Amino acid sequence: MKKIFQKKETNMLIVVIVISILITLKNSTFMSIENLVDLLKCNTVVGILGMGMLMAIITGGIDISVGAMTSLITVIVGKVLVGYQVNIFYLFIIVSICGILLGSINGFFISRINIPPIIVTLGTYNLYGGLNIYFTKGAWITNLPKYFVDFGQIKIIGLPIQVFFLIGIMCLTYFLLTYTLVGRGIYCIGGNPEAASRVGYKTKNILIFVYSYIGFISGIAAVVHTTIVKQVCPNAFLSGSELIVIAAVVLGGANILGGEGTVLGTLLGVILLGIINNGLILARVSTYWQQIIIGIIILFSVSFNILRSKNIEKEMFKIDVEE
Amino acid sequence: MKIKSDIVLLLLFILIFTLLSIISSGRFLSFDNLQTMAFQIPELGIITFGMMVVILLGGINLSITAISAFSGVITALFLANYNVSTTNINILLMILGVVGIASICALFSGFLTGFIVAYIGVTPILATLGAKIFFEGICLKITKGGSISGYPKQFYFFGSGTIFNIPIPLVIFILVIIINYILLDRTPWGAKVYSIGSNPVVAKFSGINVKIISLQVYIYSSLMAAVASIIMISRYNSAKASLGQSYLLESIAATVLGGTRITGGKGSVFGTLIAIGIIQIISSGLNILNFNRFITNAIMGSILILVLSFDYLLDKWTSRVFIK
Repeated sequence: MKKIFQKKETNMLIVVIVISILITLKNSTFMSIENLVDLLKCNTVVGILGMGMLMAIITGGIDISVGAMTSLITVIVGKVLVGYQVNIFYLFIIVSICGILLGSINGFFISRINIPPIIVTLGTYNLYGGLNIYFTKGAWITNLPKYFVDFGQIKIIGLPIQVFFLIGIMCLTYFLLTYTLVGRGIYCIGGNPEAASRVGYKTKNILIFVYSYIGFISGIAAVVHTTIVKQVCPNAFLSGSELIVIAAVVLGGANILGGEGTVLGTLLGVILLGIINNGLILARVSTYWQQIIIGIIILFSVSFNILRSKNIEKEMFKIDVEE
Repeated sequence: MKIKSDIVLLLLFILIFTLLSIISSGRFLSFDNLQTMAFQIPELGIITFGMMVVILLGGINLSITAISAFSGVITALFLANYNVSTTNINILLMILGVVGIASICALFSGFLTGFIVAYIGVTPILATLGAKIFFEGICLKITKGGSISGYPKQFYFFGSGTIFNIPIPLVIFILVIIINYILLDRTPWGAKVYSIGSNPVVAKFSGINVKIISLQVYIYSSLMAAVASIIMISRYNSAKASLGQSYLLESIAATVLGGTRITGGKGSVFGTLIAIGIIQIISSGLNILNFNRFITNAIMGSILILVLSFDYLLDKWTSRVFIK
């Protein structure tokens, strides 16, 4: 029991529950199934991207280019759908290949040339974003074929199909992180890269894998995003979305210095940001106040997290001394 | 012998400068263009120095442009309601008011981020990200999404005035460079910042008060943001929530291009200055050559990666020669 309370995820869950109760007291529609399903659907893209970002953060890195990659791939999705009417299955294959290519460029520079991840991805953020807007001139693609729009409206046992993509990516990420050698290597690199390579992990290959995986995930996120908004806007993700994704992952208890972080925590982080956004609207808070409140909640909850873990450390230290 | 990366950067700067001068057949070297660049460079430059100090410490300040917008909006609020008559005392009071209000905003926001990072111990990336959202929110609340404009005309001096054809922003920028150089390279305070950046634990055991120095660095960074904000609102004649937003990632890029190590402890004012120069001449030069602004972005991103790759390869090569 005590162990459960010491987990970061439990902290997050408490915060999520408290905020949910507060919002429900103010406006009971928050707890309606319709609203919750909508909430889930709206946040699938951040959730999916969060799973990729989680991996980068566990290795002690970061990926600022996710937004730019996703935007670039949404444009590819639009062009391919309108121009060639490909079926959904091939679309996913094309998108995955594009994503892995874009991501592996990041991975190459990070692992082989040893440039810090934040810089490489900052560079590719400008590169991909610039190329994207240059070639599309910011024009929207709106006439997506009907079969694709229909695909986005499929519901399975009452849940929109987008949610299943999130669940799929979550399971995949969980499986990779927990049950494979690569996954253990990812945690190990985050803890101590030197030690990881001495133990025998091929750290360079693992890093390339991580950033390619993020590319792959951006591809999937691009398709899911397109199914939700049913059109393609080339600069949809170019304004600060990567910072939201990072905030969600770190709110979910991942350590930005690496070595720590879980799929469940990330999901909770995404949900927390989602319900704050949604809840403030339902609680009839003026839009002008919303950002201020979100900022305060982020600052407060991370501070709370740190102070709590400091306390726990102190207690553990005491026990050690007494023994 | 290890080739200093500052010199590589300087060579790159000279190379690009001559190249642009030749290709543009005189348009790049024209007085007009040089003056335009001199007006544009200080905004990014001052914000970059604010970012650089934090990165030297081993942190990062994602809230720097939000703080800039915050102090810009508050100052604009004061200016828009300020009735200036032609008396000199009144103008002096206005300048004092602007400087005072901007510094109070900077002190407040710097203290907030610095306190959360240094005393509570939240990772800089997250604390400043939260602060960014918070301050942007305040700006949105105040401006209601619009912009505040219409200042006393004497105020435009800060952004578009000149002394002997030297733009005022450039004069302010040069002052900032000198202050930065003195603080970082010629005072114990600067040495402490470097040593915290290279190893905070060692710094702590060497008797440096890590918390106070960190707090001061974040306040200093906010002050830089406030200085930049005064120039910006004066030059654009408006203040809004997204003021200077595009400088956020650019300032990180410039800092790192200038040879500052992203994990802290290493970097120089000189290198940063050249990097700012390189970014400015590339964006102005490509603009003159009629390149699309977005392709300029892409080129900038590639240059960032290429320069660092080159640095790494050069390092590897020289150390191999050294071992032989």
